[in-house]
Amino acid sequence: MKSYFGVFAAPGAMGVDCTILLFDKKLSVGFQNANGANQVIEWQIKNLDSNFDFSRQVTLLRNNTMAGELVIEGNGAFQYLQSLKEEQQKPWHQKSKGKEWIRNTLLTVALLGILYLLYMLIVPWLSEKLATKVSAKTEQQLGDAVYNALSINEKEDTAASAVLNDFFKAMQVATPYNIRIAVVNESVVNAFALPGGRIVVYKALLDKIESYPELAALLSHEFTHIQNRHATKSIFRNMGSKIFISLLFGKMGSVANVLAHHADNLKNLKYSRSLEKEADMEGLSLLVKRKIDPAGFRHLFDHLKMAGGTVMPEVLASHPDTDNRIKYINEASQQAAVEENTVLKTIFEKLKQ
Amino acid sequence: MLITTTSSVDGRPVQEYLGVINAQSIIGANIFKDIFAGLRDVFGGRSKTYEKVLEQAKEDALRELSEKAQALGANGIVGVDLDFETIGSGGSMLMVIACGTAVKL
Repeated sequence: MKSYFGVFAAPGAMGVDCTILLFDKKLSVGFQNANGANQVIEWQIKNLDSNFDFSRQVTLLRNNTMAGELVIEGNGAFQYLQSLKEEQQKPWHQKSKGKEWIRNTLLTVALLGILYLLYMLIVPWLSEKLATKVSAKTEQQLGDAVYNALSINEKEDTAASAVLNDFFKAMQVATPYNIRIAVVNESVVNAFALPGGRIVVYKALLDKIESYPELAALLSHEFTHIQNRHATKSIFRNMGSKIFISLLFGKMGSVANVLAHHADNLKNLKYSRSLEKEADMEGLSLLVKRKIDPAGFRHLFDHLKMAGGTVMPEVLASHPDTDNRIKYINEASQQAAVEENTVLKTIFEKLKQ
Repeated sequence: MLITTTSSVDGRPVQEYLGVINAQSIIGANIFKDIFAGLRDVFGGRSKTYEKVLEQAKEDALRELSEKAQALGANGIVGVDLDFETIGSGGSMLMVIACGTAVKL
């Protein structure tokens, strides 16, 4: 805004002293009218006709739509008006506001792009990198702490556990981890692995298993979780993205925060499904290398399917859809050579006695 | 319109006092400006983004003050005082209050 003093002449009247406020798109003129009252009139800049009178050294302003004339001393008002008019005649992207808008938009897009890259690539990459730095010993301590907290010892079927440990040893899998398998007397059809080497198999699932390739499939799947540090990686990734989101949305109120965390959960579930698929595929290759029948995986999934309760859409599940799992295992195991493994078979029969 | 923080104008005595006027402008820095200003908080240095926002808020308040003075028939505002406050949760918005006395010089 600029302000000036000048003389305002209404048509057919004497000029009166006035104050002039010049804004971006309009100017307002304040003066005392013939009745002695204060009056303010507004003129649009676009309707103005401005001239500079060299002889009198004054700026003359006329309004194209209203009668009246303004006289302002000096050429300051004239020059300011010229610069305003030039600015208004520019196409929008060349106006200073337009330029600012373009710059802000580009900046916003770039910032969002950087945040997206950070969240989707860099934070997960860094988290996994950190997870691989965790020593096997620390993983084992972590796994043992969880194992003890679950009080598995009280319900453990030690005889079955011993047979399962023998069975896994007979599979001859090389690993830096001390794999310890425990069978628990529970009616849940499931099994899980803890970081650092512990595998827990529920008795109900073990009872359903009818052949040694099925047991080999189950153990090789859980073993891959341990070998590839899936639990540790998941913990680090979840932690990494939670910290990132808290930094970003921490102050933005609960709604944005809750939304971001739900979206993050979906992303973590996707990651969990990718780890399950990895465990399936690498478990399968363990079987194929030992010429154990890959049909073990299929039968295992059949048991899980039969035992499974409500089926969730895959996008909300931590594991891939069981039918999908059967499908990709079938596709990957078509050419597999199969030979009977008498050692494993004997140990398995001991379990079933 | 002559705007000054002093109570009188040299060589131009006040002919008429037209009353105390005030104007305020409240302006928010946006989330992206906040992020950049936050970076400044980490790395140090002047935060141009906040300075610009503050400057604009001051301009707006003085513009409104001038309009009010003009409507009163004044041609000057003396004793202008500018106050700055942060408001809103987390102090995300800036408020500028301008007040002064509208006069006829």
